[in-house]
Amino acid sequence: MRLRNSGREAEKIEPQMAPMIDVVFQLLIFFMLTLNIVEPEGDFNVNMPITDSSAPSDDMPKFPDIKVRLVANEDGSLNTIRLGQVNLGNGPNVFAGLNHEILKIIGKPGNPITKDMEVELEADYNLHYEYTLKAISACTGRLDSSGKHIIRYIEKIKFAPPVGGSKVGS
Amino acid sequence: MKIKSNKSAVVDVDMTPMIDIVFQLIAFFMVITNFEQIQADERVKLPSDSLAKPPEVKAADELVLNIGFERNASGEITDPEAYIFYNGEKIPVLKFGPNFAQEARIYKQKNQDPKEVPVILRTDALVKTGLVQDLIKIAQENGFTKFAFKATQKTQ
Repeated sequence: MRLRNSGREAEKIEPQMAPMIDVVFQLLIFFMLTLNIVEPEGDFNVNMPITDSSAPSDDMPKFPDIKVRLVANEDGSLNTIRLGQVNLGNGPNVFAGLNHEILKIIGKPGNPITKDMEVELEADYNLHYEYTLKAISACTGRLDSSGKHIIRYIEKIKFAPPVGGSKVGS
Repeated sequence: MKIKSNKSAVVDVDMTPMIDIVFQLIAFFMVITNFEQIQADERVKLPSDSLAKPPEVKAADELVLNIGFERNASGEITDPEAYIFYNGEKIPVLKFGPNFAQEARIYKQKNQDPKEVPVILRTDALVKTGLVQDLIKIAQENGFTKFAFKATQKTQ
């Protein structure tokens, strides 16, 4: 009986909290300090095999490349976008316009002919890279209404040699 | 007097709620921390695009190049020439050929074809497009064929 009583007293022993809290605070501070807020990044794939411009590849001739010309101002900002012969102008909605024109060319997204189509970007040498990237994005596709999935337009993007100098116009 | 001093010594704080919260915080920071951005350079201000989605399949090996400008503390460009920030050095973009050759050699030693290794270009939004194309050309001369452009994922 006495032994049992002493056993009940033993139940009150508490585990040592202090070391655990020390370690836990160390961990907390470590993770707080190593935290750097980085925006998620994504890729645009461009497949550029080594080809000579003199040797034309065995492209299907029935789908000529869609030529997108990006003209820059002297300071590297965007002057105009031309799609083939059509001048899309400039302004905040020019990339949406390019996106719309590409959709008109391919008919509907996921159209089998888009596998054989290519977009050729021809940009001025001094054009800022962000506009080129936006043009690539506008040709690649758009987000669906939920904003989660990409509706693909044309996957294949290639570059024409840059148009040299800072001269405006072609 | 005796009773009083005894009682006040025994009083201890209830630790449970504090530990609960602290564990919550640790779990939060652990989940949010990612250690994968080692190859990213903070001087590069990527352009943003809503279509930039993280790749579903990540290549085992990739060559990440950071192309950007020297910037001061407030983010202004101090040197108009664009550099590649590579292994702690800054190399002018057009002088990167020997480094590409070296990378290609390393991949060949590992029995990998440089053709299959994607070159990830983390390019500052203000770099000239022609310069990027020149860099791609230099890379092609050294056997690289797959390229990817990085952008931050942001809806505008």
